[in-house]
Amino acid sequence: MTYKRRKYHKGDTHLKKGWRTKRRTKDLDEIDDDIKEENAKKLLNQQVDFDKPGAAQHYCVHCARYFINDRALQDHFATKVHKRRLKALELEPYSIEESERAAGRGNYIAPQKRKIETLTKEDLDDLDADTDAVSPAKIMKTDD
Amino acid sequence: MRIETCYFCSSRIYPGHGIQFVRNDCKIFKFCRSKCHAAFKKKKNPRKVKWTKAYRKTVGKELAVDPSFEFEKRRNTPLKYNRELWSKTVDAMKKVELIRQKRQNTHIMQRLRKGRELEQERDVKEVQRDLSLIRSPAAGLKERKKLEEVNEQDDKMDNSDEEMEAEAIEVTG
Repeated sequence: MTYKRRKYHKGDTHLKKGWRTKRRTKDLDEIDDDIKEENAKKLLNQQVDFDKPGAAQHYCVHCARYFINDRALQDHFATKVHKRRLKALELEPYSIEESERAAGRGNYIAPQKRKIETLTKEDLDDLDADTDAVSPAKIMKTDD
Repeated sequence: MRIETCYFCSSRIYPGHGIQFVRNDCKIFKFCRSKCHAAFKKKKNPRKVKWTKAYRKTVGKELAVDPSFEFEKRRNTPLKYNRELWSKTVDAMKKVELIRQKRQNTHIMQRLRKGRELEQERDVKEVQRDLSLIRSPAAGLKERKKLEEVNEQDDKMDNSDEEMEAEAIEVTG
């Protein structure tokens, strides 16, 4: 004999599940920290981890996402999701200190706008190469 | 006992109220009520949500920069109780609060004054645009025509005089 199903309606559990703190993704202020050169270098040159997509070799710092290969990563850079994220990162992120300033504990200074461009592994390598190229020249000059 | 501030709306959190969230980088986020906590979970930006203090200050609805905000500070060193100091600080707090409220009120009045100016400008523009509704453009048309006719006659007289003079000059030349 068949029974009547007890639960027909699932409500908005599919939405609430995404907002659970155990599924929480990185916040903008955490990503703001990641963009800093030393942190970005670590994130972009990760060790091979087969548990992560693409063995953690293709990472987007701004969106905090792993991609399976370079093609997917490059395609992602052209998407709206990525561009929207860059735009969101332009303003300095909201912080606990700012919430206190807004409450009247100190002057409230409006957040500043910055210029943000997509960080890739190659960019960072180029930067390194440039600094390496510049530093010996400087040393040479001091020797003279 | 310490009165905390809400991460989202910057309101006060009294002991026994609200909820805390500790992120995996050890930062503690305090919320005054479930409304603020839910908004945080949905990753809403407090600067863009209209009912938060951060919004009201970024948009310029409330006084944001003022020396009177510099008094309130988080002090982590305990002080030994001293009745004189205590009564003095309480008096000072009351005075600071009075001054701050006065400044905040003037800031709001200044803000509203701008709107009144704009309203006046708009009214003047509207009257000038729709002047025809107040005074018909045809009013006084007959009088104006008569005046024009008189002027034309005068001009003709003047012109004929000038021509005569020019001829005379030519002859002498």
